[in-house]
Amino acid sequence: MPKLNKFRIQIQTGSEGIEEPARFCFNSHVLPLEELSGGTKAGEILEGGYAVGSVAHSMTLIGPEKGTWSLQKIKVDFECENTPPYSVEYPAVELDETTELDIWKDPPLSTFDV
Amino acid sequence: MNIITKFKSMFSDKDVDDKEPVQDNIADEITSITSEPVEEDKPFSEPEPVVRRVVRVPAVADDIFPPNDENKVLIKAQPSANSGQCLFMVNRPLFSGHSWWFPSFESAEGSPLVERLFSLEDVESVLVNEATITITRKDKNICDWKLLGAEIGTALRELLTEEGPLISQKIISEMPSQDEIQEGIQKAIDEEVNPGVAGHGGLITLEHVAGNTITIKMGGGCQGCSSADLTLKEGIHSSFRKFVPQVGAIFDETDHAAGLNPYF
Repeated sequence: MPKLNKFRIQIQTGSEGIEEPARFCFNSHVLPLEELSGGTKAGEILEGGYAVGSVAHSMTLIGPEKGTWSLQKIKVDFECENTPPYSVEYPAVELDETTELDIWKDPPLSTFDV
Repeated sequence: MNIITKFKSMFSDKDVDDKEPVQDNIADEITSITSEPVEEDKPFSEPEPVVRRVVRVPAVADDIFPPNDENKVLIKAQPSANSGQCLFMVNRPLFSGHSWWFPSFESAEGSPLVERLFSLEDVESVLVNEATITITRKDKNICDWKLLGAEIGTALRELLTEEGPLISQKIISEMPSQDEIQEGIQKAIDEEVNPGVAGHGGLITLEHVAGNTITIKMGGGCQGCSSADLTLKEGIHSSFRKFVPQVGAIFDETDHAAGLNPYF
């Protein structure tokens, strides 16, 4: 499991937004996103991140305390130790008070042309 | 008069009845300390954590090959983390709708693609799945796949340019139905695999069958276990192929990072 130095996340909200701050869960620790710009209301794009500096086991985007959060697109830029930066994009999904979205992905294995 | 009062009265020169109300109070205190839990303060209690369901959606896959190079045979090699295997991804189909595992040169008879690959030194086994080939090498101590990868690339490119058959027609014609494969694999899980991993609290479930390609999930003590990969390759694969020799690729869809009770 790699050490995640930091990550940036871009969340594009669809038709149903939320009023509360976006939170994520890293290795079972609930944390707020930092260095925020934009918003989480319908049609808005939120950008944030966190300098984690820890070995990653799991990372999720937590659903709202109340109501539904429809996410149009989620893009996560990861910076892990000893691997080149990589990005992962997720398609549209809905979160509510009972759900959280798995947003962790191990660094891709390296490839070469033959 | 309770027993404590009687006991104390033995060492007192005063009348027991004078002391009785006080002794009853002490006895009440003792009773309250020993038999009734303190409900009000609960200094170490915390509210119950909200357990949420983790939603997993497949990430949007990037195109690994540029779309304007369709005429060229493009091949990418991706060595596995343990270096014993390497996945070769080709920009055209090799065995559409199916997969096949070739454990030896003899098993490659009639399949020009695989016969050619086994003619290369250090190839132990070949798994063909749709547009990919997974090669397991004999010498597991060699980590660099550049040299063998280049030889495999040249062989694949030559065969694909010739446009002849790649896989034996006999394999395709004798392929069992998807239902037969599903039934056989479920039998292997019920009769051999799960009884075997049950001792470690493990549980294997068949998630998906597509053609002769299957996807399983490892649960219980197997989920997150450091030996899960070994169990899968040395135990489960062998058992599945014993029950259903025609099974092709076997994928593990377990999220091992989410394991709560692995057996280490």
